[in-house]
Amino acid sequence: MPEWGRTTLEMIVEELQRPVVLDKSFERRVMVRVRRLYAERRPRRGRGWLTVAASVAHRPAWAAALAAGIVAIATAGVMRARPTRDILVTGAVEPVTFVYVAPTAKSVAVVGDFNNWGLDDSALAATNLQGVWSVTARIPAGVHRYAFVVDGKQWVADPTAPRSSSDDFGMPSSALVVEDSTK
Amino acid sequence: MSKSKTRSFVVAALMSAYVVSAGAQDPRTGPKLDNPTKVAVLAIIDTARAQGIPVEPLMEKMYEGLGKGAEGPKIVAAVRNLALEMSIAHSALGAVATTDEIKAAASAMHAGVPAVELGKLKKQSRLRSLATPFTVLADIVSRGVPVGSAVNAVKSLVGAGAKDKEINDFQRNVKEDIQQGAPPAAAAETRAKVSSEKKPDKPDEMEKDKF
Repeated sequence: MPEWGRTTLEMIVEELQRPVVLDKSFERRVMVRVRRLYAERRPRRGRGWLTVAASVAHRPAWAAALAAGIVAIATAGVMRARPTRDILVTGAVEPVTFVYVAPTAKSVAVVGDFNNWGLDDSALAATNLQGVWSVTARIPAGVHRYAFVVDGKQWVADPTAPRSSSDDFGMPSSALVVEDSTK
Repeated sequence: MSKSKTRSFVVAALMSAYVVSAGAQDPRTGPKLDNPTKVAVLAIIDTARAQGIPVEPLMEKMYEGLGKGAEGPKIVAAVRNLALEMSIAHSALGAVATTDEIKAAASAMHAGVPAVELGKLKKQSRLRSLATPFTVLADIVSRGVPVGSAVNAVKSLVGAGAKDKEINDFQRNVKEDIQQGAPPAAAAETRAKVSSEKKPDKPDEMEKDKF
């Protein structure tokens, strides 16, 4: 029975957002089923990596070399892994142009929660046109906070945007709400 | 070495490789965060996740602290404070609130708006997103508009069916009025009145969503 003051749609949304509680054996039962399905579909002639493991069991040195090789590859992957310069995107993205007037500045960059606050050289470098600095970037839809970094050291809020109240680190920032144009 | 031991060895190697690789997949994992800070922040994030609070804003706060060169304890305090504000905002807004609304509500609370007022606003607006109204609320309160006046102004705009663009225009006008010397409360009340009067024919969101 609908409660007073709540629409049916709200109650449906609330119900759909409620976490599903699964019993402890659920995962085990799913995995048993998955393995059974996998075993049925798999060609009988190959037995996969477990066969490899079984064959190398006769030669422990090979097993050790294989394991060391895997770890080495993983380690090399980690050493090579570099943070991406792209903005992390999980949903809709919209083009946003940031403009800041600073006639005497030598550089202006935009940093915010959409580019990890400029960590790992992810700051958006603005281009200068007679003291008017601008940069356009594709920003994920949602609520964001950002700031301009002038000459690589001075953090300033966007004077044209709403202020962000949560400046916990003593440097000003601005708020930005990017709407999803597809909705 | 027995077969089972060999399999265990290979499995362990694969598992360790997977764990190490998974850690490397987060491009934001940088070397700047010291271990005690990382452990403390991850504990806060785990607790928040268990409470059903969106954790991405907490990660963003951590990276903001890093980007601004803050020290570990300050980062931990900021993340903890945000988690608390988001938890209160989450409770006040209810289950229908989106991550953006919770994030914006936490910002408004940080500026001094009581959570109960944000909850009332959410109940009034029903299915409309309040990310922009909450953001504007935080802004005008930080510019000196008293909380009561700011809440009433935004409430009247939302009640009159104002769109996000109109609420942004309201923020811009209030800001300019204050910059020109107007008392903040008077600026907010006058601009809200003008904006609301422009929309006499717009249906109230509450009425629109009734079945």
